Amino acid sequence: MMQSSLIGRVARSENLRGWAMVSPTALVAILLLAAPLGMIVAFSFMTDGYLEILPEFTLENYTKAWADPLFRQILFRSLYVSALVTAATVVLAFPIAYFVSFHVAPERKSLWLFLITIPFWTSYLIRVFLWKVILGYSGVINSGLMGLGLISEPLTFFNYSVSAIIVTLAHAYAPFAILPIFVALERIDRSLLEASRDLGEGHLRTFWRVTLPLSIAGVVSAVLIVFIPTVGDYVTPQLIGGGKIPLVANLIQNRMLDLDNKPAGSALAVSSMVIVAIISVAFLWANRRYLRVGR
Amino acid sequence: MTLSAPRPIIALRDVQKYYSDYHALRGITAEIQQGEFFSLLGPSGCGKTTLLRTIAGFEDVSSGTVHIDGKDMDGVPANVRPTNMVFQSYAIFPHLTVAENVGFGLRRAALSRTEKAAEVDAALKMVGLTGYGGRAAHALSGGQRQRVALARALILKPKVLLLDEPLSALDKKMREQMQIELRRLQRQVGITFILVTHDQEEALIMSDRIAVMFEGQIAQLASPQQLYRRPISRQVAEFIGVMNFLPVQVLGENGGRVQLNVAGLGACEITAEQCPSGVQIGAASVGLRPETLTVLFEGEVARGRELLGRVEEVQYFGDMTSYEVSLPDVARPVSISMRNLVGRQVLERGAPARVAWEEGALVLFC
Repeated sequence: MMQSSLIGRVARSENLRGWAMVSPTALVAILLLAAPLGMIVAFSFMTDGYLEILPEFTLENYTKAWADPLFRQILFRSLYVSALVTAATVVLAFPIAYFVSFHVAPERKSLWLFLITIPFWTSYLIRVFLWKVILGYSGVINSGLMGLGLISEPLTFFNYSVSAIIVTLAHAYAPFAILPIFVALERIDRSLLEASRDLGEGHLRTFWRVTLPLSIAGVVSAVLIVFIPTVGDYVTPQLIGGGKIPLVANLIQNRMLDLDNKPAGSALAVSSMVIVAIISVAFLWANRRYLRVGR
Repeated sequence: MTLSAPRPIIALRDVQKYYSDYHALRGITAEIQQGEFFSLLGPSGCGKTTLLRTIAGFEDVSSGTVHIDGKDMDGVPANVRPTNMVFQSYAIFPHLTVAENVGFGLRRAALSRTEKAAEVDAALKMVGLTGYGGRAAHALSGGQRQRVALARALILKPKVLLLDEPLSALDKKMREQMQIELRRLQRQVGITFILVTHDQEEALIMSDRIAVMFEGQIAQLASPQQLYRRPISRQVAEFIGVMNFLPVQVLGENGGRVQLNVAGLGACEITAEQCPSGVQIGAASVGLRPETLTVLFEGEVARGRELLGRVEEVQYFGDMTSYEVSLPDVARPVSISMRNLVGRQVLERGAPARVAWEEGALVLFC
């Protein structure tokens, strides 16, 4: 009797139900995300044997990695490219999100969002290839300009360059930046903007003092959503950069597979992950502390 | 300075507003005087909020003119107009503190930091929020938000304060308290207040004058007493309070007296003043407010005229009792409200009732 009522109570408990609901996802997350991540972290502290990984604890992978100027240079380049991609994406995404939120009729908004997500209909790889077609040595831009007689030889500065990588990534991540900013703008009570106007502020000052501060949460999410994955992007530098401008993911791939040194690759992966985490947390903190726009 | 014909603070001339094919304001002409507590009263969709927003500068007029303090407001944006608004939602900036909200519009004023702080403190004191300056705006109650919105608007010393249904989100007690407080505040600062409301009681309590609006037009612009006692149409009479309508034959008019034959009440004579919408011989209707009718009790004598009816319905409110009494030759029972004075019993349903009425209480609608 007692037993059954206890079971009944447990079965009815809200906590248990909550856990039951998330358990399939949690299981997948643990198996496919947490476990591999744990393995990478574990590998990074192990010693590389010739064909296998020796379970001997060492910090050598890290000391070697950080002593290597190539790694530092490539990591720095990755962060630099990511920062520029993030800046470009967010700065360009804001007006689009603003336009859709403020200037599109309510019944048309979902159509616009739908149009914005159209690039996602094709795979990331194909989109990257398309940029290659546009920006390549004998790509659309060069052949177009030559056809018009504006240049006699193909331009090369954007073929396999950092700027080509930035353009490609910024395009690929644009919807990720537009959507959170759009959501934040949508949540702004329009009467607040009227109140600001009523209290004597023009459109620009109203934007600065009301719209921007109230949408800053969306901007912050956009920054993180774009910055974090672009640091580790592998495909774009490989294809657009033609392998000549490796970013950190390419270096990790090289260490892991080409050189078959999983501990070294893991150490690079963990290092860049930690750096990105530190930058993100610092950004969030700085935003809370200093970026109180409009006061 | 002459005392005669003071310049109105707001003059509206034939203001029309179209939203594509919807005609929201159909020729509004009105003058609002300096220092007046003016209300725009009407059911939802009558255009009262549109009119307020037109004065504030959030809506353009399609035709007609809006003058504020003698200046034509055509093309003058909201941020330059000498008006401030208390929004229905209060529109308190959630990312700012109470003091920052109240001081929001002071940016343009050439004040030092300490002067600004003093102004903000004074404004907060005025609305009874002394010491709340440092609080986060989102942590305020409805009534407090309302006060912050008031302080934020009044701190700029506008020529006109516009209030868009400011009390509709508050509970009854708080609303009644704020009605008194708003009125007190208005007298204190001497600024013209324009209140939009759909609550006739609120308009009656607070206003110097009320414009009753229906379908984009002002049906009647009058003082609360005049509006209640001499409504210009059945529509206005029905919107303001309760009114019993009886069919009537207008028999004739001479020397300022109008002869009627009211269904159920019989022949009677009223003054021209009781005919706000004019006199036309023929069929019309008269109105009687429930409190102008009296249910007589044993031994009581009618001041005016008397007839016998039957109680159909009784609603007991504590301080008052409301009766529905059917009268001979009257199709619908009339409402009668009686104060529950000491010693006066409440009649039961089905009981016979002697009903007293006076000619002076009738209003004729032609």
